[in-house]
Amino acid sequence: MDDFDRELEPHTDLENDSDSSEDNSSKGGKKSKFPLVKPIYGDQTQQNGFRRTTSMCRERIREAMLHHRWEEAAEYMVYYPQILEDRNLFTAQPSKEFIWRTATEIFHHHPNSTMEDYNTIYERMKHSGFRHYLMISLEHSFHLLLHQQIEDAKRHLASAESWRHGKETAAQIQNIKLIQAYRGLLDYIIWCDKKSTRSSSDYYESDSNQTMQNYFRQASVNLEDILKNPGVWDCFILRYVEMLEFYEHHKEALQVLNDYAYDSNFPPNPNAHVYLYQYLKRQGASEKRLMKVLKVLHALVPSHELMLEYSSLLLQSEKQSDTQKALGVVLEMLDFNCWGSNLEVWMRLKAVIQKLQNQVDWENIVCEKMAERKDWWLALHFTSFHATKDSKENPELFEVKASLTKILCPDLNQDTDKLSIHSPFQ
Amino acid sequence: MDDEHTAEYTVPCAQCSAVDWGISDEGRFYCRSCHNVIERTREVVDLSFLRLSSRVSTIRGPRKKQAERGHVWMVCEGFQFILKNQADALLELGVSPQFKDDVLCPLWRCYLQKSRQAYTHDPVRSCKFRVRAVGSDSESASEAISCTDGESNPASTAGSNTENSGFWSGSSDTLTYLSARKKRSQSLLSMKKTLALIYLALVWSREALTLSDLLRLVNEGHVPYLNAYEQLPEEMRVTGKDSLIFIVETVPSHHAVHKEAETIIQFLQLPAFPPVSRQTLLHPALLSLRYLSDVNLPDELHPWVCRLLEHTGMMDQTLHTFDPHNHPTLPRYDLQAAALIIVTLKLFFCLDDMTEWHLSNDLGRPKDSGKVFNLRRWYKVMEAALIQAQERRDQNVSRKQWKSKKQIYPNKKEKCSMIKKKRIAEQVQLCFEKLTSCPSGLQDVGPSSFIFCWGDEEKSDGPSLHHMKLDEVVTRRCDFLTPLNDMYWHPPLRRCLCYNSHYKEVEATLPRSFIWLLQLFAFMFDVKPFCLYEEVLSVERRIFDTRLYRGKSKADAGPSAEAAGASPEAQASLNTRTSPRMTRTSPRTAEVSLGTRASRRKRQRSRS
Repeated sequence: MDDFDRELEPHTDLENDSDSSEDNSSKGGKKSKFPLVKPIYGDQTQQNGFRRTTSMCRERIREAMLHHRWEEAAEYMVYYPQILEDRNLFTAQPSKEFIWRTATEIFHHHPNSTMEDYNTIYERMKHSGFRHYLMISLEHSFHLLLHQQIEDAKRHLASAESWRHGKETAAQIQNIKLIQAYRGLLDYIIWCDKKSTRSSSDYYESDSNQTMQNYFRQASVNLEDILKNPGVWDCFILRYVEMLEFYEHHKEALQVLNDYAYDSNFPPNPNAHVYLYQYLKRQGASEKRLMKVLKVLHALVPSHELMLEYSSLLLQSEKQSDTQKALGVVLEMLDFNCWGSNLEVWMRLKAVIQKLQNQVDWENIVCEKMAERKDWWLALHFTSFHATKDSKENPELFEVKASLTKILCPDLNQDTDKLSIHSPFQ
Repeated sequence: MDDEHTAEYTVPCAQCSAVDWGISDEGRFYCRSCHNVIERTREVVDLSFLRLSSRVSTIRGPRKKQAERGHVWMVCEGFQFILKNQADALLELGVSPQFKDDVLCPLWRCYLQKSRQAYTHDPVRSCKFRVRAVGSDSESASEAISCTDGESNPASTAGSNTENSGFWSGSSDTLTYLSARKKRSQSLLSMKKTLALIYLALVWSREALTLSDLLRLVNEGHVPYLNAYEQLPEEMRVTGKDSLIFIVETVPSHHAVHKEAETIIQFLQLPAFPPVSRQTLLHPALLSLRYLSDVNLPDELHPWVCRLLEHTGMMDQTLHTFDPHNHPTLPRYDLQAAALIIVTLKLFFCLDDMTEWHLSNDLGRPKDSGKVFNLRRWYKVMEAALIQAQERRDQNVSRKQWKSKKQIYPNKKEKCSMIKKKRIAEQVQLCFEKLTSCPSGLQDVGPSSFIFCWGDEEKSDGPSLHHMKLDEVVTRRCDFLTPLNDMYWHPPLRRCLCYNSHYKEVEATLPRSFIWLLQLFAFMFDVKPFCLYEEVLSVERRIFDTRLYRGKSKADAGPSAEAAGASPEAQASLNTRTSPRMTRTSPRTAEVSLGTRASRRKRQRSRS
């Protein structure tokens, strides 16, 4: 009774014997009736006039789109949908996706297209089969979002969320999760709207507060749910934490962020630690806790910009070993070319070394850290090219670097070539 | 359970255009795919006040099918209507009325009898029905229906048991057709056979319509073929399994229809066809004239084509007439005429990618070059027109609407899904039509025998070259006009035992200009170039290879073979007056090409 089921059935084409004796190539053509892994257009197009028409039409649409002739593409799209009536599902099935994607693309560029057209295509193609229902629902709501129709978008997502068909396949489950996540996000957006109007009207109204609370609850149910699934949920977790913070559910927020950062089921995600750090900082957590988070982040991304803060935290600490650690952190940052001309990092390095100089064996410590770098640091930071560039663009940086040259690369003195550039400071 | 009540209601859902209604507990209709509830409610037939037992099952009464079934009819009746429509369309296009009444009708009757579908005491079907005296008009068909109506009970019970048996169709003998189809495929009809029958009738009545013309008319929709079942009378409902017989998704190729026609000839054991004499429009002598003007070649070439015909012995009408004893093959008139033109052009211009351009270079000089035929100029004009025409055809092909508005549902199960698909396709289509403000359907092209249009009119493909003179490419030698070019090449002419064409293998070695010419004609006839190539080879065999090809030309070939060793002057005088140059080269070329068996093209330079 359900026509969806039929889409999964293998199709038997009884009718085709009328053109089996086309010519010599017909033997090859017959083979393609077996269920192949992929639908093959090429072979069948020779056989069947209808297929030939649709494949030529598709080629022409593609061609027109490639050359940005959107009107022409739209003209051919008038003739293409007849493929949906094809009784051979191997060709009918992929064409649905083609129609849906092509049509929206053409509307996007066509001067005369209206919102109505989009809605028609999305709605029709959504209901043309179950395979793409969720994806199309999601894209439909994205499109509505782009046009500021948040309520409509939410409605579509809500109906997609409650939609079920047959056995849940892996792809279906994933799509459902995405839909859930975006629904939560939409609730957040509405919540934000309410928040801004409330604060602007500037008086406490229990009614609006109540609706906000409702949206918060709806959003948090969805977001909390999806955050249990391993994955990268960056933009969702931020919104969730923002709402939790607003209602001062600090414990939950911390729990969520901790889980997101430290759960081993999740893929390693530096942002998770960044968010945790930022949250802790906002909450005014102790330096020790902050450093602990940054230490993990350092292991993941030694070049992260938060390493500057990490090194300053290490510097502030009383322990001698922390100063050494700070040296390591800054040097590792400078290993990356992107920090090479950053004044702040070099200043930090200078500060670290200055603090280090209070210790007895500081030269050994520096030497030890530099031992593995001396081969290539010269080329990375201390060439004549760098010297001229820095002295021109950033004299301050040039000075800092020059003052550090001797400490970091004592060998440089013997190297007359390299020395010459820094001779003013010798 | 609900299906009994919802099956009748086939209006698509306003929300999602699915046709899949269910009935809720309150008796309201709702769409099963989008859960949209609509105004309609189930009509509850409450019979409880009539009968004491108030079982719900009594609601499920058989109350619809009988009414919508229409008359009982046979598949061959359906084909008869289709054939009639096709013939009428041809009559409207100018085919003489005798074609339908005197040729097609007897042919059809003969077919029905031979295939034991009618006019027989031993019908092919297992059913009891028999069609009596099927004529070519609808009156007799309805008469046939009325006489079977009385005993139509078995069929109608089969109809009401559809869900169980899976058999569901409008016509009464579809099942016989489908089951016996594989075994007796040559005796039972198919849509392709209607075309083959029409083609045979056209050849029999010697109409100036070749197979490629017929197929073009079919492709352009001037002769009903695609969705031809739509034109069946209303009381003949095409449903269910009938779709497997009547729905076509392709127009058969030239090759396929020709083969089918030959099969039918054999099956019907037709006698010899009326002779295709020189005056008949199907004869290559006249057909080639038509093609010459279609491809914008000068009229002056026609006498040369006729001389070639005479030389090869192809003027003889027996060669062009089907006769089960003397000439048991059905000629491909269109391809043959085109092959003759190609060979004539080869004689004049050699077409070896060199000589023809040299010849046209030499032509550039004369003062009145405007009147002299120049192959280069022709090529340029023709190439542009060909590209345009190809683009036009491709456009039309990609804009062709195959699916009919009136659908046939192969079985009940698929009905609702097909209605839904149709609806979705229509709405998407409508959406884009609105967007482009472009009318649906093809731009109607009037039926024409000609593919190109030459002259000074606005829509022409280019200037007409029909009146150009061949003066510069012919020369007078020993009082005979002969082509200036005295070279001729040809691929090996030996017949290969295997059926497949070797065109694909030799294509790369053939001169480009020759291939282009093949493609030009192949485009005009909508055939594969290899069919044409084979036809060219068979003409060349007639010219050169007297030993391999012992046909009617045997007598002519005698003196030329003898003349091989003689001096040029002697040859010229010995040879027939038609085309001395060609015969002079013949024995030698044949020998060389057979001796070396080289597959490459050869250029044999004859003594001059």
